[in-house]
Amino acid sequence: MSTLIAIRLRNAVVLLVLATMLCFALVVSAPGNVAVLIAELRTPKATFEQIRVVEEELGLNQPLILRYGSWLNGALHGNLGVSYKTGDAIGPALASRLPITLTLVVGGAAFAMLLSFALGFLGALWPGRFGDALSRVIALLGASMPSFFVGALLIYALAVELGLFPTFGTAGLSSWVLPWMTIGLLPAAVLSRVVRVGLEEAMARPFALTASAKGLSRRAILFRHALPNIAPTYINALGAQGGAMVVGAVVVEPLFALKGVADLFLQGVLFRDFMVVQACLLVFLTSFILLNLMVDIGMMFTDPKLRRQGANA
Amino acid sequence: MTSTNILQVSHLCVDLYTTRAALRPVDDVSYEVAAGETLAIVGESGSGKTVLNFAPLGLMPTGVVTDLSGSILFDGQQLVGLSEPALRRIRGGKIGTIFQDPMSALNPALRIGRQIAEVAELHLGMTSSQAEARALDLLKLVRMSDPEARLRQYPHELSGGLRQRAMIAIAIAAEPKLLIADEPTTALDVTVQAQIIGLLKDLQRRLNTAIVLITHDMGVVASIAARVAVMYAGRLAEYGSVEEVLLTPRHPYTSGLIAALPSVDDAPGSPFRGLPGTPPVLGAPLPGCAFAPRCPQVIDICARRYPPLAGGAGTAAVACHVVNARQSKEQAHA
Repeated sequence: MSTLIAIRLRNAVVLLVLATMLCFALVVSAPGNVAVLIAELRTPKATFEQIRVVEEELGLNQPLILRYGSWLNGALHGNLGVSYKTGDAIGPALASRLPITLTLVVGGAAFAMLLSFALGFLGALWPGRFGDALSRVIALLGASMPSFFVGALLIYALAVELGLFPTFGTAGLSSWVLPWMTIGLLPAAVLSRVVRVGLEEAMARPFALTASAKGLSRRAILFRHALPNIAPTYINALGAQGGAMVVGAVVVEPLFALKGVADLFLQGVLFRDFMVVQACLLVFLTSFILLNLMVDIGMMFTDPKLRRQGANA
Repeated sequence: MTSTNILQVSHLCVDLYTTRAALRPVDDVSYEVAAGETLAIVGESGSGKTVLNFAPLGLMPTGVVTDLSGSILFDGQQLVGLSEPALRRIRGGKIGTIFQDPMSALNPALRIGRQIAEVAELHLGMTSSQAEARALDLLKLVRMSDPEARLRQYPHELSGGLRQRAMIAIAIAAEPKLLIADEPTTALDVTVQAQIIGLLKDLQRRLNTAIVLITHDMGVVASIAARVAVMYAGRLAEYGSVEEVLLTPRHPYTSGLIAALPSVDDAPGSPFRGLPGTPPVLGAPLPGCAFAPRCPQVIDICARRYPPLAGGAGTAAVACHVVNARQSKEQAHA
């Protein structure tokens, strides 16, 4: 199994390098020029020569391959460059913002898992009853409402009208509740269906009849026999939803005035601040690849057949 | 004889209701099984033999409403009308079950040891470490090679024969008084089939367990059962000792089934003999004999009135107007 994990790790590194190349190329070829913006900040209606001076200062006149090489070399040594806009080093800015985004996404994922299991089991334990219908309605609503709308509703209802939680900020646990709910609702809706449908399918398989012939109650069969069988599917879906939540942070962070990585990314895009965009993309890509690696390993631990393949690999 | 019967089924009818249809797959069936004895229930697919055994235990798919009438006395307890929690205590406890396909009947995500130990925890009140020890003993009892390693393996790591042995270990984990085996050898190789039947006979002798064996394999019937009940379209066609039914079949359906078995004496390349026609679709109970449309000896009354199961001493009981009329005539002459 450890060899299989080693192979996956090696693949992850190769993937990461390829991904940085791709995103470097994309960022460079995006319309807009930071040199023009900076030159115009210095002197309104900057001349072509003034723009050229700025380009030379920033090293933008060098060939692309050199720019990529020096950036990659710096990144490997922990130096992600300097923001064109503010002149600050990007590394420390990212380091201070990363915990906020991590708290948002991990907390949101925990909320999504809790809610999805609650809703999924509500339906599976009493199929066709009120709880089942309720879980379906919540899943449908959760999956069809965009997060900026959910967030606005939650802020209005729970923060403005009822005053239960602060509307923004990072002061204490209560200020995190609304962001977690906002970012976690859609994944919870999708995952609750994964739980509900997966359990139903498992209960229709012959081993559920065997478990019943052993004298186990329906509840015991659901928890002890059906649940282990949906684990690999659930982990896979959770991985996909985790990726979606990293993207969702771009919407949720500004909504709650959270100064996270996604917020920095948005600022970078608005100012064509390539170095910032590049660094943020690097963080996002790394998190996607790590997430996939974790999903692969998690599936290996929960699916006996995959574990066996891993032992042979 | 009746005092030692572990299972006494009288006039059992099973009605199944789904949202679309109402069926009576079991109609007025009576039989008994003595402690430590094996009864084989033989019939084509859809003859009701599985429903007959599983419906009274509450082992029916969800979404099907089951209605039982008649009486099932098991170990002095009436099973008809018993609540689900009470049935649950019997299932896996006093009654063990073996299923046809051991691959799908075992849980692919759980270790073999856990799946066996679970029964001992539930019915014998053991702690998990006691139950693990019991699981190991059971694997030795079903003659599993390398039992310590098997405990930690998953079903997909075992061959079909070993899986069925694990399934048998699960079924006997709580030392049941009755074992219901639903085509336990159908999904296995012929050589493995013989091993499994041998194992069942051996376990029966050691544990004094009664076995109800559901099968359509006459060879299996001859090698393990003492008595046999032949089912056709939800009713018993013939019921008696194995010698009587297999050697001197009296019901036209049983004779047809046995005549259809390929024989060593058949010339190479000779065609398979089958029973002409198909079994009826189960719906409302038929007024007459269900086999009448396929019967070579059919007479007028067959289509109008259902023949009751009747038989004299020393012969199998048969549900057939023709056979029983002949028999009462012979008795009148004697």
